[in-house]
Parts: sequence; C-alpha cells; structure tokens
Amino acid sequence: MIKVEKISKSFKNAKVLQDISFEIKKGDFVAVMGPSGSGKSTLLYSISGMDSLSCGSVLFEGINISEMQEEELSAFRLTKMGFVFQNAQMLKNLSVFDNIILPGLVAKKELPDDIRKRATKLMKRMEIEGIKERDIREVSGGQLQRASICRAMINNPEILFLDEPTGALNSGATDQVLAILEDLNRDGMTIMTITHNPHVAAKARKVLYIRDGQIAACKEFSVGADRERELDEWLSRH
Amino acid sequence: MKLFLKLVRKDFKRNRVITTALAVFLILSALLMAGGLRVAGTMISSLNGLNELAVPPEYLQMHKGTYEEEAFESFVETHDYIKDSLIVKMLNINNANIIQQGETLEKCLMDNGFITQNEGFDFLLNMDNEIAVVLDAGIGVPVYYAQELGIEVGDVITLHKSDYIKELTVTTIIRDAQMNAALASSKRFLISQADRDEISQHMGEWEYCFEFLLEEGTSTAVLQKDYIDAGLPANGVAITGSLLTMLNGLSYGLAAFIIIAISILLIMIAVLCLSYIIRATLAEESYTIGEMKAIGFPGKAIEKIYQIKYIILVLAAVVLGFLAAIPFGDFLSSSVVMYCGYGSSEWMKWTSPFIGVTLLSLIVVLGCRKIIRKNLKSTVVELMRGGERIKKEGHYSLPSAGLKYRNLTIALGELKCKWKEYTVIFFVFVFSSFLILLPMNMKNTIEDPSFITYMGVGESDIRIDIQYSEKLMEQKDIADSYLENDSEIENYAIYRNGYVQFQNADGQWEYMRVQNGDQSVFPLNYLKGSAPDDRKEIALSYLYASELGKEVGETLTVIYQREERILTVSGIYQDVTYGGKTAKAAIDFDENEVEVYIIYLDVSDGVSIEEKTDELRSILTNSKITPISEFVSQTLGGITNNMRLAEGAAILISLLLIMLITVMILQLITAREHSAIAIKKAIGFSNRDIRVQFGIRILMIQFVAIVVGTILANFLGEVIFGWMLNFMGASKIKMLVEPVTAYLLCPALQLLVVFITVIVGTKVVRNYHIRDQIME
Repeated sequence: MIKVEKISKSFKNAKVLQDISFEIKKGDFVAVMGPSGSGKSTLLYSISGMDSLSCGSVLFEGINISEMQEEELSAFRLTKMGFVFQNAQMLKNLSVFDNIILPGLVAKKELPDDIRKRATKLMKRMEIEGIKERDIREVSGGQLQRASICRAMINNPEILFLDEPTGALNSGATDQVLAILEDLNRDGMTIMTITHNPHVAAKARKVLYIRDGQIAACKEFSVGADRERELDEWLSRH
Repeated sequence: MKLFLKLVRKDFKRNRVITTALAVFLILSALLMAGGLRVAGTMISSLNGLNELAVPPEYLQMHKGTYEEEAFESFVETHDYIKDSLIVKMLNINNANIIQQGETLEKCLMDNGFITQNEGFDFLLNMDNEIAVVLDAGIGVPVYYAQELGIEVGDVITLHKSDYIKELTVTTIIRDAQMNAALASSKRFLISQADRDEISQHMGEWEYCFEFLLEEGTSTAVLQKDYIDAGLPANGVAITGSLLTMLNGLSYGLAAFIIIAISILLIMIAVLCLSYIIRATLAEESYTIGEMKAIGFPGKAIEKIYQIKYIILVLAAVVLGFLAAIPFGDFLSSSVVMYCGYGSSEWMKWTSPFIGVTLLSLIVVLGCRKIIRKNLKSTVVELMRGGERIKKEGHYSLPSAGLKYRNLTIALGELKCKWKEYTVIFFVFVFSSFLILLPMNMKNTIEDPSFITYMGVGESDIRIDIQYSEKLMEQKDIADSYLENDSEIENYAIYRNGYVQFQNADGQWEYMRVQNGDQSVFPLNYLKGSAPDDRKEIALSYLYASELGKEVGETLTVIYQREERILTVSGIYQDVTYGGKTAKAAIDFDENEVEVYIIYLDVSDGVSIEEKTDELRSILTNSKITPISEFVSQTLGGITNNMRLAEGAAILISLLLIMLITVMILQLITAREHSAIAIKKAIGFSNRDIRVQFGIRILMIQFVAIVVGTILANFLGEVIFGWMLNFMGASKIKMLVEPVTAYLLCPALQLLVVFITVIVGTKVVRNYHIRDQIME
C-alpha cells in the first residue's frame, strides 16, 4: 500500500533521515521505535505527506505523494489518511462531536446526516458517546484520545498514522486505546504508530527500530507469538 | 544591563514584524504629535511676532460716507483709556479696474483697498517684518496675492478706468496683521500719498477705518458703547482685535488643530495596540515568567526585562518622530511663516513638540508598566498553567446541513468565539474609516453648490456684486435690464444691503447689515421659522439670534432714518458671510444708503456657468461677478484648502494605519492560533483554506467597522462640522455625502488594502509547519 523508497530528510545541515526504504502492506500494523531524536516522528510526518522530503519518494497505492502540490496533498490526506497525535489535538471552539465530524463535512464524501450517524457509531464503539456535546477541556485525556481516533476514522481512511498515541495517558486509558487499535486493525485498518512503549509496540505485527535516522533493525512477529517477550529480547539486542 | 539589551535584541529578532509595526505606529504618533505642536508653536510665534511689530488696532469701526474729523479728535481727547487712534483712509477700487499680467482681479472675491503707510500703529510690513515704505509709482501687494496670483516684486499693477491708466510697480510684498488672513474678506495695498490722491480723482470709493489702541485692561465694549453714544460715524461694521486674532488663528491654526487631533487619536490607538501586544506577549511568555519567579528572580527584574523593550522602542520612536516632525512641521507651517514671518518666539517650535513627545513617552511607558505589573501579580502556579487562565472561549456549532461554504462557516464560527481579540482592530478600522470620510464629507459639503444655503441665500449659479461706485443704482439698472432680456438666464433676484441700528444684548445701539429683496426667488432653508412676509417682520442670522437671545415670534426694535420700528422675528437662518451677522427685512433703503446690490441668478439648463460668468464680466464691467462655487470657496478661504490637505493626509494615514494593524494582528493571531492551524492542516485543510479563513474574519470585522465608521462620520461629522462653522454663523450643517465615493469607492479602497495585506500577512501560515506544531 505504501512504498517508501530511499527517503532522506535534512534540517539545515543535520541529516534526520537517511536513505530509508520499507513497505507497508494493506492491513499491516507497524510500530516505529527508537531513542529520542532518532527521527521516528520525522519519518511518520514525511511518509504521510505532512512534511517535505529532501530526497526519495513515497508511493501511496502507486501514487507518488511526494510530488503532489500542497492543495492536492491536503485533499489526499483528508480522505485517505487519519491522524492521532500524542496530545489529543482538537479545535477549542468546537464540541467533541463537532471536532469528530469536521473532516467528514469538509471531505463531503457522505451526506451530513450519514457523517453524524457514523460519528455517533464510532463514539459508541469507543465508549465515549456520553461526551458528545462536551467542551474538549471538560473530558479526560483518555476520552479525548479516543475522540481523536474517532475523528481520524470519520472519513474511513486507508491508513491510520499515530504519533505516541498513549504517551500522555495513564495505564488504564492506554489499555483502552490499544484495545481499540487492535480492534480496528482486526477489521482491516492499516496502522502505523510511533511509540516508546514496548507494550504498545507489542500490539503491532511489524516493528521498525530507528537509530540516527536510519532503520537499524526490523522485526516481524509470527502469528501466535508472545510478542511482548519477543520484543523485549529483540530490543535488548539493539 | 548588557543582559537586558541582549534579551531585547533577541526579542526584536524573534518578533520582527510586530516590533516593526509597533515602531511605525509609535513613530507616526510621535511625528504627528510633534509636527502638530511644531505648527502650533510656529503659528503662535509668528502671529505674536507680527502683532508686536505691526501693532494692529484693538478696535476698529468701518464707515462709508462723510464724517467730522473734529468730533472724532475731541472724542479721543476726552477718553483717557484711548492710548492711540488713527483714521485710515482707504480707497476701495473695483476688482475689474485692477489689472495684473493682463487680467483683472474680477475672479477674486476680495475687496481691495488702497492706503498709505499709517503712523503710530497698524503698520503694513514688508517680508522682513519691517515697516514697508513705498515711493511714488510703487505699490506694496498683500502677501495673499503674492501667494494666490504669483505676484512678485518688479511686476506691474495697472489701475484702469475709462481713459485713466495708472501703472504701479510692485516694490514690496506686504504683511498685514489686520487683513492677512484668507478668511478676511478685504485686502490692503500700500501706495504713496501722491499716487493715492491722484488715483482718487479718477476711481474708487472712500471708506474710513476709525482705529483705536486702548490702555491696558480696558475692554473694547467700553469703547464701543462710548463711541456709539457719542454718535460718531459708524456706517459699517465694527471689528475687535480679538476677532482679527481669531480669523488669523483659524486660517493658520486649522491644519495644526486637525493634525494634533489625529495624533491624539493615533496615540490612543498606539496605546491600545501596545497594551494588546503586551498582553499577548505576556500570555505567550507566562510559563517563562513563572519559571523565572520559581527560581527566585525578583519581580522588579522581571518587570525590567519586559519593560525595557518598550522603553527602547518608544524612545527610538519619539526621537525619530521628533526629527521627522522638523521638515513635516515646517512644510505645514510654511504658509503661516510666509504670511506672518518667523516671529519673536521661535523657541516655541522646539519646546512644544519636545513636551509633546515627552508626554507621549510617559503615557506609553506608564501604560506598559501598569499592564506588566498587573500580569506579574499572578502566582507561579497560575503563570506556569498559563493556558488555564485564559478565559474559556465560546463554542460554535457546525451546521446540520453540512459545510457548503466551509471556510466561510468556520471563519464566522471562530469569529463568534474570538470576537474579543478583534476589538482593537475593529476600533482602528472604525477610526480609519471615520478619518477618511470626515474631511471628505466636509470638503464635499463645502464644494457642493447647495452650501450657499449656509450663506444666507438659496441655491443659485452666479452672484453679482455692485459696489464701490457713486452710480450704484445706475449700474444695478443696467444689470437688471440686461438680465431681463437674456434668454439664457432662468431667473434672478436683486437684493440690496443697507444698515439699520439695533440694540444689542448690552442695551447699546449697533449697526446691523440688513438685506432687502424678494426672498421667494431663491428660497432659503430656515433653521427656524420662515422668511419675512411683510414690513413688520425680520429674519435674523443664527449668530445674531443667539447673541440677542431672540427666538421666532419675539420682537426687535430697529432704527432707520431716526424712525423706530418694532419688527417681529419671522425666522432664523444660517449665514457665514459678513462674520455671520446679517438680517433680512423689507426695509426701503434710501438709494444713497445702499451699501451694495447683490444679484443672484440661475442660468438655463445647458448653459455653462463659467461661460456665462465671462460673458457677464465683459458686459457688466463695473460689477464683481462670481460663480457661486467660487464664491463659497473664496469666502471660506483657507478652510477648503486645509480640508483638502486634511483629506489627503487622512487617507494616507488611515490606509497606512489599517495596513499596519492588519499585519500586527495577523502576526499575533496566527502565533496564538498556531496549534489550531496545525490541527486544521493535519485534518486536511490546505494553507489556502486557513488563509481564506483569516481573511474572512478580518474583512468581516472591517466591513462592520466601515459601516460604523461611515455612520459616525455622517452623524458625528455633522456635529464636528457644525462646531467648526458655528463661529462663522452656521451651526446645523447637513453633511452632503458623495455616495459613490463615500459608500463605494472608499470602503472598496480600504477593503482592498486590507485584502492585499491579508494575502501578504497570512503567508506566515505556511511557516507554521504541522511537524513543528505537533511535535512541540
């Protein structure tokens, strides 16, 4: 689905990403790990078209998104990708529900009523239907992060990009979010997440370990494996 | 200190656009403040200097006709409070008889008198402010004509009537403390005694000015009463020195007044912007301030860090503003210097702007300190949780029907929640729209032919004055018969001005100029009541009515030819001619006592007013023929010119102001909303969408502000304009708005300027990269 070919990214004179190539298949759950400053987030923003590349290309279902104009890329992101960030980023002047439906109304892929129904359904699935009309400052971090996932899912994207989705959550909320992600992936959603947390990475099928802007190692879990144990061992080697 | 300066330098670098815009604001405020005060200082110095050297009279009584010199002399001798007196003999010559560079002065509305140099006081000065001396065949020309007609030393002025021709060479340009001002309707030429005697044999009409200087502490009212009681010649107006000073002040001071008024408003805006910027900056910096407090930084030091930037900024601005005000002020005061010289107190043009900018600095610095101190009062925890202190913004709901116009819906929704952030820019937009429209509407009102209704007569096209001749009636009859047979004249009416005596508010008898004629031909809009219907009624000008405290229906006793008549006030009208003091009544003036015949006429449709004026000038050679538009602009003298100057300056300043404020607000708002921008980008809004949303917010605010500014300019403008013209005799001015310019072109120009500024100013949205924002 996504083919990353020899991408590099530099800021001023510092090379943040160097010659990175990998592939994400439809239905994959990829976690990207690595020490702070290794370039994990830059990798996510680069391949999702939020950030420009210094060289290389990213093919999304065969389309080279690195050559797209900003307008085109925005529209592409709106309909094909969903994003969840570490601190649930939402617009302060809209209620939780309106924040969720906004990308749907902008994309106009469905009728407004259908978008609202879909949003309600998603909120129900995430068990947050009770906070629909609330101000975003009136809900907990875990609830807000689940609302972020609803927003990311509203346009039924091809892939979900998550940047430390549980980084600001307590363990209870983290488990809730992870359960949802597993659930979504089970339903066929492609997911790519950045994380420090091995507990989160263990939910993925494939883990990329980044160091100094390069892929230092790659781990694919076999079906039925004890992922957390395998991952601990693998990480201790890196 | 080094550390502070380093911090300031860093801060300037970081907020370059806002700091620059703020600096421009402050420089502009300082420039206008210092410039206005420099003009005021120069004006005071110049006027004082001229008055000291020329010694204008403190009281003067004009008179036409015979008088007894002995009676006047004995009056002076018997009144101790009279310090000095003079009888100035002025030979009034019709403008049509004065030729300069092949053209008569017919187009000029001024009355022109020829006098010799006075002795004792009321001197005419040359351009070095020395008492001017003119020899035979020479002439001193008023500086007004040097300015308006470009007359220079060496030019020849020809006086011409029938076969008589007298050529006079301009040997000096004259400054006249009494009649310098463009608002004064007469001008005095200086010639030698021999030339005046010769000329008077062939042309002109004598008019006399009985002039007085009084001992200190004596009121002119005392002299006025004694003068009238003594039955001394008074067939003409009486003028006090204070009126002359006021006329001069108005002619030269209006520009200074307008500039100072604009600068005060600008300072208010600068302080508003500054407080907004400081609050915004401190809100952004609250965490850092909290940290500084937490590690034990003393409050005073923190205050200093944040204050020093603004102190440096305001000091730099006032220095630059002060320096720029030197050429700016000199340019604006060039007219007063030309008319009055530099004067004796030149220091004023340096000290008054200095005091002004010092005050400005104090206002800004103290204002900054107050805001900073208020912000620093918060506890460390409050500061470090800065976000929580921000008052909860409102909500808006997305429409259930979907987002047909997504950018418009979101922009309006956000505006509903964040309108408070736009208060400053709203007021600036209101102010700039008001500032553009006010002088423009004033100028339009003055330039509109209907302004004549404030000059005591209904709308008409051309005015003919017949005066300064022994054959007034004969000339009037010639004009009458010509106009009657001219098919291109739609209608006309002849009015005659004469004097009656009336009792003023103090019970003293004064002369009143009364106009008699058919008031129905050019009907006038009366403030109250209507035109006099019969011989028992009188209509008073607004100034007379207010001075006498008369209302419609009350009676006024007047004396004409020793006969007392009790007239009922039928109406009150506005009139800015003759110092605002006129009346209308059906009094059959003796033909010998008619001061002037004035004919107003309308030309038929399709007839050019200018061509008809030229034609009439060639036929009625002894009359003064003026198109009404010219008459209005000349009567109001410098006011229209000042208005034009103010209009240009207002447009320039306003456009610059709205550009600056838009750039500043955009910088602040985009910085404040960086996270919302990032979120929008992340969920699929393009840079263009976000820029359009900012544009809609700003332009929507501006649109409402323009509507408010326009309404204010119309309503408040009428009050301001009325107040400005109140002294001249018109209190209730109906502002005439040129709808295409005022309601279409001006708003469109302002919106366009802001639109372009938004396009440039929102480019910054591109820099707010999702990556930087989200990863923060």
